[in-house]
Amino acid sequence: MNPSEVPFTPPDPAEVTTTDSEVTTLDVEQVERALIDASTRIPVLFFYGSAIVWLLLGTLLAGLTSWKLHAPDLLADCSWITWGRVRPAHMNVMVYGWASMAGIGTAIWLMARLCRTTLRHPLLLITGGAFWNLGVLLGVGAIIVGDSTGYEWLEFPPYASIVLFVAYSLVVSWAMLMFRFRRGENIYITQWYLLGAFLWFPWVYGATQIMLFAVPVQGVMQAAVTWWFGNNLMFLWFGAIGLGTAYYMIPKVIGRPVYSYHLAAIGFWTYALFASWTGMQRLVDGPFPAWMITASIAASILTLIPVATVGLNHHMTMQGYFGLLRYSPTLRFTVFGAFAYTVFSLMGIFLSLRSIAGYVHFSEASIAYSHIGLYAFFTMIIFGSMYYIVPRLVGREWRYATLIKLHFWSSAYGVGLMVLMLFLGGIAQGNSMHDPTLQFTEATDSVLPYLRGRSVSGMLLTIAHFIFAFHFGLMLFGLGRSASVPTFLNPKEEEAVKEHI
Amino acid sequence: MKGVTGLFLGIFGTFAFSWTGLTLIPNWQIGHLDPQADEEGTDIYPQPKSGMAQRGRKIYAANGCVYCHSQQVRADYAASDIDRKWGTRRSAPRDYIFERPAFLGKMRLGPDLSNIGKRAPSEEENASPSPAASTSPGASPAANTPASSPNASAASSPAAAAASASPAASANASPAPASSPAPANSSPPATSPSPATSPASSPATAEATPNPNGIPPQYSAAWHHLHLYSPRSVLAGSSSNMPAYKFLYEKRRISGERSADALKLTGAENPGEDWEVVPSYDAKCLVAYLMSLDQSHELKEAKLTSGAAPAPSASPAASPAAAPLKEEKK
Repeated sequence: MNPSEVPFTPPDPAEVTTTDSEVTTLDVEQVERALIDASTRIPVLFFYGSAIVWLLLGTLLAGLTSWKLHAPDLLADCSWITWGRVRPAHMNVMVYGWASMAGIGTAIWLMARLCRTTLRHPLLLITGGAFWNLGVLLGVGAIIVGDSTGYEWLEFPPYASIVLFVAYSLVVSWAMLMFRFRRGENIYITQWYLLGAFLWFPWVYGATQIMLFAVPVQGVMQAAVTWWFGNNLMFLWFGAIGLGTAYYMIPKVIGRPVYSYHLAAIGFWTYALFASWTGMQRLVDGPFPAWMITASIAASILTLIPVATVGLNHHMTMQGYFGLLRYSPTLRFTVFGAFAYTVFSLMGIFLSLRSIAGYVHFSEASIAYSHIGLYAFFTMIIFGSMYYIVPRLVGREWRYATLIKLHFWSSAYGVGLMVLMLFLGGIAQGNSMHDPTLQFTEATDSVLPYLRGRSVSGMLLTIAHFIFAFHFGLMLFGLGRSASVPTFLNPKEEEAVKEHI
Repeated sequence: MKGVTGLFLGIFGTFAFSWTGLTLIPNWQIGHLDPQADEEGTDIYPQPKSGMAQRGRKIYAANGCVYCHSQQVRADYAASDIDRKWGTRRSAPRDYIFERPAFLGKMRLGPDLSNIGKRAPSEEENASPSPAASTSPGASPAANTPASSPNASAASSPAAAAASASPAASANASPAPASSPAPANSSPPATSPSPATSPASSPATAEATPNPNGIPPQYSAAWHHLHLYSPRSVLAGSSSNMPAYKFLYEKRRISGERSADALKLTGAENPGEDWEVVPSYDAKCLVAYLMSLDQSHELKEAKLTSGAAPAPSASPAASPAAAPLKEEKK
């Protein structure tokens, strides 16, 4: 198929002027889209709303985690908020509460739009969301009271995981139903990624739960399974949703089809193949057969192929339209995220090389890597999609362009500073650890200044999140602008935008 | 793309490929190991942990120790773990067959704990600390050499002597393993211990002498309790960022006699005349777990590193230990 057949080539009427000859078709499509948006309204807003509440909670937990690292006596005497519980609580709130729920919200909406089908029985989907919240609440509660399983990224005890799994089954059946009743012959790129994400997540999660709790594997294999899970949760779940969303938002906002469909296909399949094989490089030099680690390092290096194809595709689509980054909030967040995906992957390759791993293994560099993946890449793309989707659900436009700009810059500088601090700190720490003539405590000392810097960057992110939550709250309570044009970041030059397109 | 079937098969195929390759095959390769035994079927290693240590593992998981402490020793050619005396050989899959969860860890904001139990002073030294050292440490370095080996006494005496002169310096020297490498090295009657025991045991015996300011020998059970209760008062002079786990301890009024297991707290942490701080059962289990961590047993697939014999010049303790020595000369 050629790119012009991509089902939603006609850009959104709200953003461009239309030509007269297509008015009738466009009118029909516009009504159709309005119906689809209306059907997804309640569940998607429910998922977004819950996600944002978790985001705020996770941000507070993150602040506590970060401060306690350089002020260990802060609130240390209560078992519930000891560092070793706050840290996994933060991580799980962000992973399962914020990122997964926001990702599901976006994915459901995209799926409905792309399948050109209304969401049937939307209220039932809310049950899924409610159960998901319950699962996260149970799991985080369990961590706080000291019932963590001790497996990283899987600290939720089985009773919480089961609730999560039931919730997920509801969500995924709805997504599959929509896919089953899709209209139109073509399956757009975004749908590949979303379908992949919806199917990979339960398989990966289920297989891991079985191997850790139902039929537990022996000894070090638990660590291998845990890393396999963490890695695939990042790539096959968050990564797939993030990339799929970027493939929708970038062409949509600039009103131009994706540059190359074939590049996208190559990117998708090499991504699925190679990214799913990375992960074991994090066990480098550990008690494992060397081939496992080598295979993952090789797979890491091979992820250059999807990174290059996806990056090239987005770049060529954007070619000549970069000026729009001045105006569209969605585009700005999405392009930031798409670029961060490239940096994230390159950093992953760099850290996985054996010669480098000797210096950065067991250091804060791995935390930098998780944050660039989950925040700079995934979360920024999801923010972008929320700026696009929420106005279409509530029928209002974002109230303040200034708040969006503040959100963007605090998030961008915050995460940039955080990754820089953790990465440099990790190198300093790893370097000191590598040198046996230095005392071990010197390694910890060397990273402390960077950890303080990380706390500062965390404050920027906190500001960003509270601004966004406030703005989202305004939208939710119908306090957005009622206008026909979307909120641009720099509204005075709206004319220029239209001319440009 | 029009082939929905192809899409589904591809999505499933990539998942199955990764799952088989990275979990099923490795599990087939290293997931069903048995403990190792010698020809007579004795000397079995590893063995399951005691009940208390098992419960301690849960405490370890619940309080997130794994986020800062790893439990794996890398080979000497790959990293400096063995130089740091964190172990005498690299860790092997067989070391972990009874571990559930296996806390390999991914971060070292604190030191590796694979052999923390092995690095503790042995039982008898722990039980009967040299009285000379605790009462009048500086009086005569030769006096505090009773039961332990010449190697240990030679190593410990200068540190103890210096300690009386300057408490700060002693506190600095105490957390470092092998307090004074120079005399330890120069004591010929050390009976050249076998490579299997020397690397781990010599620092341990050197630490066996209690510190004059009342801190028990490093890595002993009593030391762990103090360290968990108040990390920065035990490792005085260090900027350790380990949180205190005071919630695992109970502060209570002494009724009748002082409990045998009450922590010997000094300085700002001293609870006062009528009060005592005792470890909860959870704290005892956690320490039992720590004391059970030991990967020093030789495995046929992971030989002891020959280069692990004490190399004083490379020892991390070299620099801080040098300071008290100089002061003593003054």
